[in-house]
Amino acid sequence: MQTSRARLFKEYKEVQREKGADPDIQLVCDDSNIFKWTALIKGPSDTPFEGGVFQLAFAIPEQYPLQPPQVRFLTKIFHPNVHFKTGEICLDILKNAWSPAWTLQSVCRAIIALMAHPEPDSPLNCDSGNLLRSGDIRGYQSMARMYTRLAAMPKKG
Amino acid sequence: MVSDSITNASIPCPNVKDLGKKKRANRSAKLKQCKLDVRREQWLSQVKKKGCGEEWTGDGLHRDASNGSSENVESRRERGRVEANGPGSIHHDSDLELSPSNSPISLNSILGSNDSGTNYSGSGSSSSSSADCCSGNITEEDDEGGDDGCLDDWEAMADALAANDERPKPPSCPPPPQDLTASNGSGMIVGGENLRSGTRATPAAANTRAWRPDDAFRPQSLPNLTKHHSFPNPSDRRFVNGGISWAGCNRIFNVPTSCPICCEDLDLTDSSFLPCLCGFRLCLFCHKRILEEDGRCPGCRKPYEHNPVEGEASVQGGGLTYRLTRSSSLMARP
Repeated sequence: MQTSRARLFKEYKEVQREKGADPDIQLVCDDSNIFKWTALIKGPSDTPFEGGVFQLAFAIPEQYPLQPPQVRFLTKIFHPNVHFKTGEICLDILKNAWSPAWTLQSVCRAIIALMAHPEPDSPLNCDSGNLLRSGDIRGYQSMARMYTRLAAMPKKG
Repeated sequence: MVSDSITNASIPCPNVKDLGKKKRANRSAKLKQCKLDVRREQWLSQVKKKGCGEEWTGDGLHRDASNGSSENVESRRERGRVEANGPGSIHHDSDLELSPSNSPISLNSILGSNDSGTNYSGSGSSSSSSADCCSGNITEEDDEGGDDGCLDDWEAMADALAANDERPKPPSCPPPPQDLTASNGSGMIVGGENLRSGTRATPAAANTRAWRPDDAFRPQSLPNLTKHHSFPNPSDRRFVNGGISWAGCNRIFNVPTSCPICCEDLDLTDSSFLPCLCGFRLCLFCHKRILEEDGRCPGCRKPYEHNPVEGEASVQGGGLTYRLTRSSSLMARP
């Protein structure tokens, strides 16, 4: 408990210090609870998520950093490895490949990389995974772009 | 003799200034500071040894206010402040005179001729012996070291110190010789001060800005220093016993990082602990916790071996190399 708090506090200070160092990631700690974080990440360019801003919710266990943080998308996203309803993310480093040397910042980077490189063979979103696995890249991209427009971009007008 | 040395010494002024500027611009200044620190520590232990011995006792009456040799060493840094206190500290001044003899040493090496010990020894009878002893120590050490890499830093520090008390004085006014010939106790001090201002006031003015903000001790701009160990009130540190505060400095330079897992500071045992061949370091506490759970190295995710490699734990002197290996291991981190 104390360890995780100290570690999170250090990460918080690091985030404050390097604000703007990574323009694609904005990590914000909950005002009253250091175990709750949210992050805004920009959809990577040359993907259907380009131009969108996606919100992530971090729930950090007390055993952090020995246990990985629980991360899910708050913004709807059409991606084979993200559950369409719950926003749950299927990513190895959030499960068995977690290392205590990772930080919340590096988790965000990993998620951005996952957005750019989906793994259709372990899908949480079967529709999306099936489109990719059947080779319908265009269908996948247009669906993903549509949801990016709908959910991850500021409404116009 | 003394006036001779003054004219000698005033020659390298611009030279020294240039060097100082270069150094400040140089990012490797930190590395040099590391070396400097190690050397300082050696010097300190040497001085301590002698200080407790017979050499310092000779002028014990001068140092009624000082607590001992360690304080005296510490006072090297405080010199400026003490001298600024005014006439009350004249005696102090006279022994402080000898402690910064590291600065004449660097001059020594630049000039190759000027012997600081003799400069001061001509003036005061009681302090001359200790001045000789002190400067002798340093010269020896410099010779032993053989590496001139940090001489400029010595100089820069001495300049910053000298700047504290000598700023109001005009940079280039060699003292009239009659001052020195009429030397009693106080005349000696004036002569010494003038000598110093004559030699180094110009670089001092430039150096003050670089060293001053964090109390004339080390450039704050160096990375990693402010990150983990900022000095909230440096004035406290001054009054600490010399050994302790030196140890603090060394800690800052040699073991600046904390455990990447729990963010606690690594102590000596931790920092000599190398549990995995990949070089990922962590504290013993976190290592134990990881062993209780999945037992894989956070750096490479390979299972920990049962016989951890003991790190190259060398308390003395090896601090610099040690620090380098650590930083490289941190860079290898994912």
